[in-house]
Amino acid sequence: MPEPHIVIEGLCKEYGRMLAVDRLSMTIPRGEIFGFLGANGAGKTTTIRMLCGLTQPTAGRAFIGGRDVWLDRSHVRYQFGYVAQKFSLYPDLSVLENLRFFGGACRLAPADLAARVEVLLDQMDLRSKRDAGAGSLSGGMKQLLAMACALLHRPPLLFLDEPTSGLDPVHRQQIWNLLYDLSHDGTTVFVTTHYMDEADRCTEVGFLDRGSLLAKETPQNLKRRFRGQLLELDVDPVMPALVSLRGAPGVLDAVLRGGRVRLYANQPAELFDAWRREWPFPDLRWTGHRWVDADMEDVFKAYSQGYAGLLT
Amino acid sequence: MNIAVNVRASLRAIASVARKEFLHIWRDKRIVALVLVLPPFFTFLFGHAFEATEPKGVAAVLQDRDQSVASTRLVKRLAGQETFAWRFQAAEPACDEDLVRQGVQAILVIPAGWGNGLQDGVPMPLQLLVDGGDTQTAVVVEGTLKEALGEFQVEARDAMVKNLPPGVVQLGGLLPVAVRQQFASAMTPWSLETRILYNPRLRFIDYVIPGVIGLILQLLTVTLMACTITRERETGTLYQLMVTSLRQWEIVVGKVLPFLAISLLLIGLTVAVAYFHFGVRFQQAPVLALICLLFLLCSLGMGLLISSFSETQTQAIQFAVFYLLPVFPLSGAFAPLSQLPENIRYVSQLFPLTHFCHAFRLINLDNAPFSYIVNDLLRLAAGVLLTCGGAALLLRRTQQ
Repeated sequence: MPEPHIVIEGLCKEYGRMLAVDRLSMTIPRGEIFGFLGANGAGKTTTIRMLCGLTQPTAGRAFIGGRDVWLDRSHVRYQFGYVAQKFSLYPDLSVLENLRFFGGACRLAPADLAARVEVLLDQMDLRSKRDAGAGSLSGGMKQLLAMACALLHRPPLLFLDEPTSGLDPVHRQQIWNLLYDLSHDGTTVFVTTHYMDEADRCTEVGFLDRGSLLAKETPQNLKRRFRGQLLELDVDPVMPALVSLRGAPGVLDAVLRGGRVRLYANQPAELFDAWRREWPFPDLRWTGHRWVDADMEDVFKAYSQGYAGLLT
Repeated sequence: MNIAVNVRASLRAIASVARKEFLHIWRDKRIVALVLVLPPFFTFLFGHAFEATEPKGVAAVLQDRDQSVASTRLVKRLAGQETFAWRFQAAEPACDEDLVRQGVQAILVIPAGWGNGLQDGVPMPLQLLVDGGDTQTAVVVEGTLKEALGEFQVEARDAMVKNLPPGVVQLGGLLPVAVRQQFASAMTPWSLETRILYNPRLRFIDYVIPGVIGLILQLLTVTLMACTITRERETGTLYQLMVTSLRQWEIVVGKVLPFLAISLLLIGLTVAVAYFHFGVRFQQAPVLALICLLFLLCSLGMGLLISSFSETQTQAIQFAVFYLLPVFPLSGAFAPLSQLPENIRYVSQLFPLTHFCHAFRLINLDNAPFSYIVNDLLRLAAGVLLTCGGAALLLRRTQQ
């Protein structure tokens, strides 16, 4: 096991009566891309804020590089970069002015700052926009600029709160390439996302549900936690089929995937046998079927919907 | 060595906050225009508004029901007074006594038989109706009329003495010397010999100028400053600031600096208007500059304090308004503090503007030595520490 970079021990955060984060404990090794998954309101942002020293934990402790993130926050601050969920740069300042400000705020020496700005302008593909107002950039470019600002002081750890939400596929790809580069250079990346294809690219993912960590595994292991295979049906016409199958007894849910209806059921094999004997939907035509392995989305669904029967 | 490196890094961090804050102001052209145009314009406007203290041209009705030689002379004298804009009414019918309906603030009636009364040794009073709603004008109207009447009486007495028959003068010679001297003294108007110190030209503008400058600067500094941190809180950039290695006090100092520079420029502009347009002269410029500096820092600190505990910019502006409102009547900016009841004056002591005006006047009007204003300066300095320190502390609390 490599040296741990982040150690979280029984971290809790209460807002009034609401328990936003409930006894969260985990360890994240150095150089990992850790994907933090969970529905909206599961407590991901609160966890990141506690790790960044922006919010005081109600109970428990967390350490970055061996230092307490709350008690020692003025020191820990030099040790990470933070890209918030909401665009939080200065829209009335240009790209260059934003970079210079955050570089100055991170106490970079002037010569070092100038060099870092040049490197990051190239790395983020923002050179042509250096004098444009940050507020006038596209969503993707704003996110790249936010990453550049967070990386100015060469932090060994980067927190990103939904960095790709609402972005086009090209920018998403660009951002993930950057994350790979960072990870390759030894930077630990802590990223939250709602995209399951992105979760698949992480070295490890954690599932957070209502403040509790349900699982923390590599994507491969996580998918292995899914019991058996999933049944996909070719049914015509497909939209009414989705509605009928969703309501069928024994079916937890049905979703459309690539033109087929994918079924979530505790006993898919028995369902399949029963339907083969007698198809209960006279107005739907069953034209084919196949068995598929669960992907990250299925795993996420099982965890977030509480389909305990589907998981081992 | 290590300390020097830290200090240098700290100064650089502060400089980057200050530069950023200055860019925010500079990019907002409307604010720039507002900040550069309003202060000199308001100084001009307020200066003229408070130039004259005595009411002039008070609308009033004058009815002479007597039409005697004496009443005609009195009317002529009153007509020359700047205090009144008289409307003369014929002797008949009796005057409508409703001031509001008449659209005037006073009605003066010389009753029929007034001239005869003076002749017969039974002087009748003149009838004065005055609107007490505007207390200041009422007092001035009454005082001006009393004064005019007194002068009229002295004039009549002098004429009488001059025209005394020779027999009376001889008879007077029989009086003992002491009595004659007392009599002569009684017949001469007694007077004051006044030497006006401190504001020898007796111009109200010289008195009111610190109030005008202070009020305008306080208004701009508090409202502009009040929005700075709340704007960052609203846009989420405050979190981004918090995860940088900036310390609270560095943020506070960095934010205050550009506003301080702008305020100093504004002081220059308003002082220029006061000097060139109103001919106000300034004494002990370095001491005045020190008073201004402390006052500005205090106002900026107040704005920052409001900013650090407000959640939104709307709230910040509302808090700023509620802070600025009582300052107008209670700080003694436009009227002497001595006009306020003693208990209220304790409240006045809380406002930086009170100390600013007090110290500024002591120096500029009275040319007082420095030791007279030390107390005011100490209180302003305490205000700076309290507000800025409070703002830094509240910034810390937003992290919890």
